[in-house]
Amino acid sequence: MNLRIIASDFNASLKTWKRSKGTMFWTIAFPVLLILIFGAIFSGVDEVTYEFHVQDLDDSDWSHTFMNILDNISVVDIKTVSADENITAFIEKETLPVALVIPEGFGEAIDKSFFGEEITVNVSFHYDPSEQGSSASILRSIVTSSLQEFNMQLSGGRRIIGVDQISTITEDFDFIDFFIPGMIGFTIMTSCIYGSIERNTKFRKDGVLRKLLTTPITRAEWILAKMLFMLFLSFVSTLVILGVGILVWGVSLHINLFMIVFMIMIIIATSFLFSGIGMIISRFVKEEETADMAGGAITFPMMFLAGTFFSLDMMPEFMQSIARILPLYYVNEGLRNAMIYMNTDKAIFNTAIVIIFATVFFLIGVFVTKWKED
Amino acid sequence: MIEKSVRCPKCHELVTFSGKPGEHLTVTCPKCSARGKVTFKKSAIDQDHAIEVSHLKKIYGDLVAVDDISFSVRKGEIFAFLGPNGAGKTTTVEIIESIRELTMGTVKIFGKDIVSSFNDMKEKIGILPQEFQSFEKLTVKETLVYFSKLYKKRADIDDIIDSMDLKDNQNKLYKNLSGGLKQRVGVAISLVNDPEIVFLDEPSTGLDPKARREVWEVIANLRSKGKTVFLTTHYMEEAEYLADHIAIIHKGKIIAEGSLEDLINRYGKGSLLHIKGCKTSNTVEMLREKGFNATSKGNGNIAVTIEHKDRLLEVLSHLRHECVDYDSIDIRRSNLEEIFLQLTGAKLSEVEA
Repeated sequence: MNLRIIASDFNASLKTWKRSKGTMFWTIAFPVLLILIFGAIFSGVDEVTYEFHVQDLDDSDWSHTFMNILDNISVVDIKTVSADENITAFIEKETLPVALVIPEGFGEAIDKSFFGEEITVNVSFHYDPSEQGSSASILRSIVTSSLQEFNMQLSGGRRIIGVDQISTITEDFDFIDFFIPGMIGFTIMTSCIYGSIERNTKFRKDGVLRKLLTTPITRAEWILAKMLFMLFLSFVSTLVILGVGILVWGVSLHINLFMIVFMIMIIIATSFLFSGIGMIISRFVKEEETADMAGGAITFPMMFLAGTFFSLDMMPEFMQSIARILPLYYVNEGLRNAMIYMNTDKAIFNTAIVIIFATVFFLIGVFVTKWKED
Repeated sequence: MIEKSVRCPKCHELVTFSGKPGEHLTVTCPKCSARGKVTFKKSAIDQDHAIEVSHLKKIYGDLVAVDDISFSVRKGEIFAFLGPNGAGKTTTVEIIESIRELTMGTVKIFGKDIVSSFNDMKEKIGILPQEFQSFEKLTVKETLVYFSKLYKKRADIDDIIDSMDLKDNQNKLYKNLSGGLKQRVGVAISLVNDPEIVFLDEPSTGLDPKARREVWEVIANLRSKGKTVFLTTHYMEEAEYLADHIAIIHKGKIIAEGSLEDLINRYGKGSLLHIKGCKTSNTVEMLREKGFNATSKGNGNIAVTIEHKDRLLEVLSHLRHECVDYDSIDIRRSNLEEIFLQLTGAKLSEVEA
């Protein structure tokens, strides 16, 4: 290994990068832009209220109490539907995503339960199953948790009826906390895949690889120099994304040794992983434009399927299964657990998976990358 | 054992023989059975030749791209490897440069087999690949510095910039240079390690005539610096202008080899004397009676083919003696285009092998 050659190549890559507005945009400006846009869209999510149409067919004290519980939830704005309306027709006419019907006998059932009778009465939650991930699922979960609370309080019989909004996670995370690690993974993925494709297709077309083959630089020195530069870019992008996330949106970042070690490990492994995928693409797709398209065909579906912008829980089950075979999913989850959720077990698990992916893809990439012509 | 390629004096076939250093052998041409003597001077071959290619063959599936070719390049000469597109030029040069693997044969640079010792040769050679484009976002000087740092032996970058007349453009980005300047930078890159052999693969392809002439001057200048130049080209004018030694390749085979003079003498039709505006009748008949191959081209224009240069003065003498009146006379000798036509039946500029 000749360090002078490696340093010279790194320096040339750095100069090229600084002078390339397009590359600068994709590695720094684009992720910052996305953070600002997505942050602005989702930062006010707590102030959003959902209109919730409820038809009270019982009109009893207990049904009124339950409606009050729902009404006291800050994000729910209760709209009463007259008992005379046919709820199905009403939903269709008003094109409502959801509606709740409190059935006749609701209060009577509760009264009887105080005397030991085991009577069950169900409220009807009308919703459109195709509206997964929208207000329907949010309201359904609100109703479910409210009913659970309501039932629990009734069976105790002493406390005043009400709903405590209790988060299932120990800390209150915003969307941006979820989004920032995904953005880091996505940016490293695109810059490494496209960087690798450019090196291997454009340089091959321009004769640069043939030229280098006839000089003393070895393939290992060249790949190492390029990888060091890609790592440099990955860390620069990470710092910029974190900086904007913290300064503009107040991301809940936990800075400690655990986080730093795992972040560095994941970023290094991710850079090798996607550079390896880029090498494989450019080995088999030799035209520069076609290779770019092939890169897009891999990065874009992965970006959406791997939980970069949205939680996997919002996707149908089969889509979640697909996500779990994508390397970017483990990158995103690893970064989230290391940086935000501080979940050591999950961070270790995801980091290990990313390292395995990286080792496999990078070795295949190095193996299939040829400078020599046939 | 060493190998020596000689051309048969009778049928001009290039034949390779093997023998021991200092050995004198009586040999027979496999094509015409002519007999002759060959002397093997090992020391002379090693010292004189920068590149020796022997029975080189490259096969892709059913396609024989390079078909058993042998030639050598002397130190300090400009060697032109001339042939139409697809003839096997770039395949051959890229095998010599170790960019491609050979199927059969041997290639030696400074007497060392490239298969086993090409890495040692890298410091001694400089290469401009075909259609080479350097890093777009680096300046001319940064590009030269980048490539020079890849070598242990380095030429002075400022000297190269001066000698290539790149000083005014040294701080321009490569992508902003004209085609001619880019090719000059490409040649300059091939010189950053002060190489002994420079390989230039189609260095003037795609350039306008002015830019091409500038590149030729740069290449001619390399010879004056003592460099051995291996030039691959499909422009016959380029080979005629620059080369000390020319090998013509067609369909993977070398069909002629030698200096321009050798090739013209061996394969050319001599000189063409063109009498313009001849006003004396029966001049064509007169010249034919004297044994010349004269043809009327109409409007008083007459073409006379002269195979031996000694007969040139004879024609002029007859014209003067017969008081032939004419406007002007042009004398043009055979060129590589005509030699290629003679050898292949096709024009070099029109052939896609």
